Amino acid sequence: MVSKTEETQLNRLENQVDNGGGGAWDYLCLARKLKVRRPEKVLKYGLSILNDSKKRSALGPGEWTLYEQVAIAAMDCQCLDVAKDCIKILQKKFPESKRVGRLEGMLLEAKGLWAEAEKAYSSLLEDNPLDQVIHKRRVAMAKAQGNISAAIEWLNKYLEIFMADHDAWKELAEIYVSLQMYKQAAFCYEELILSQPTVPLYHLAYADVLYTLGGLENLQTAKKYYASTIDLTGGKNTRALLGICLCTSAIGQVPKGRNKEDKESLELQSLAAKALEKDYKQRADDKLGLLTSALRSLKI
Amino acid sequence: MAAELKYEISQHAYIKLVLHALKHNTTAVNGILLGRVNPQNENVVEIIDSVPLFHSNIALLPPLEIALIMVEEHYGSQGLGIVGYFHANERFDDAELGIVAKNIGDHIFRYFPQAALLLLDNKKLEAVPKGKGQSPLMQLYIRDTSKNWKLAGPDGGSRLVIKEPAANVVLSDYISSEKWQGIVDFDDHLDDIKKDWLNPELFK
Repeated sequence: MVSKTEETQLNRLENQVDNGGGGAWDYLCLARKLKVRRPEKVLKYGLSILNDSKKRSALGPGEWTLYEQVAIAAMDCQCLDVAKDCIKILQKKFPESKRVGRLEGMLLEAKGLWAEAEKAYSSLLEDNPLDQVIHKRRVAMAKAQGNISAAIEWLNKYLEIFMADHDAWKELAEIYVSLQMYKQAAFCYEELILSQPTVPLYHLAYADVLYTLGGLENLQTAKKYYASTIDLTGGKNTRALLGICLCTSAIGQVPKGRNKEDKESLELQSLAAKALEKDYKQRADDKLGLLTSALRSLKI
Repeated sequence: MAAELKYEISQHAYIKLVLHALKHNTTAVNGILLGRVNPQNENVVEIIDSVPLFHSNIALLPPLEIALIMVEEHYGSQGLGIVGYFHANERFDDAELGIVAKNIGDHIFRYFPQAALLLLDNKKLEAVPKGKGQSPLMQLYIRDTSKNWKLAGPDGGSRLVIKEPAANVVLSDYISSEKWQGIVDFDDHLDDIKKDWLNPELFK
């Protein structure tokens, strides 16, 4: 998961390199650190360094990590020859390496040779049963073949062992959402909020899922989590502010809900609306009219 | 709906949807179709514009509800309404109209009974730079009398055409020049309200 500042930094570097200002190595390091998926750029910049023997030797031991990074990016862009070349070089340098073995497995995946890839991963797992990357490749393979239920099964098995892997919980939640299995998605977000209570993204996603589930209790809880998102983001999260308004409107349409609305929550809605209007006036003036009528249509 | 309808999509609306799918090529994307029934011919539905909506967590209600309210409000003042929905699946070889698309389609159908569901045809998209075809890269689905979304086939019945015959050539050009980088969807707007989901500068 990448913060806005980190993303801006990465984009700035990208622009810099694209416009000939250098910084390719910095970009590649940052991209690897943030674990973002930008295969076209990584491939382009990576090859520009690797194909230049002077630049390559200046990297020192970083050269090998770069080969790995470029191999993966090449596979993502379906440039399988490039990937194969990088992997060959790594094989030569690290003959018995499990890490290179993983790349070989991924190349089989990229070619669509699922059975062979599964065989390669199983044998790697025999020697190293706690290799998280390989476990996750299994999930990815299931997903790639369209076998979503297998992906869910593998991912649940994975999380029983590696329950602190937040990205995996988030991935599982998103798979559940895509299948409209909102209760299960809610459970995932609950786990995430328990282990990382100050990450606003989880509060927001949880609120969105609860709202989608519907029903008075879920709407009221959703409102609480939109409120905590606003708290954690210093009032700057547009989605959470809109969420408050949506919840208030939806709660008001449930017969029991109208009575339960207290002064405090009405105040919350009007504060959210004011904050939105102020923000739109400042930064998206041409859309202010649309926002105002949207808010108007949401008030009971 | 027993009548055979012609759905005529403008190049503008069409290209926006495909570029959106290309920009977010690792996730499912969706969009809304805006238009009206042709005032001179009630068997023609004009899809005049489109708004790319989301590229993440498509099946969550809050962002969708807000988007529909704002989109309807904006286009309503121009005499246009929501006439359909566009969806592109996450995986290349997934050619199925999924349940989320159908549910959203059902919702739109309630307000516009001639609603069209368009599903991006990935294999046709792959062939675009090579071929000179004029047929749209999307499959058309319409609701039949038994409340199912049915694929409009080549054997008669309703069909989807692009208004401007050279649309795929223009699209090909845009793909080579990576025009899809500039596309803004509703997700982008919610993350940063300065970004305009109307994409006013995109084709200038």
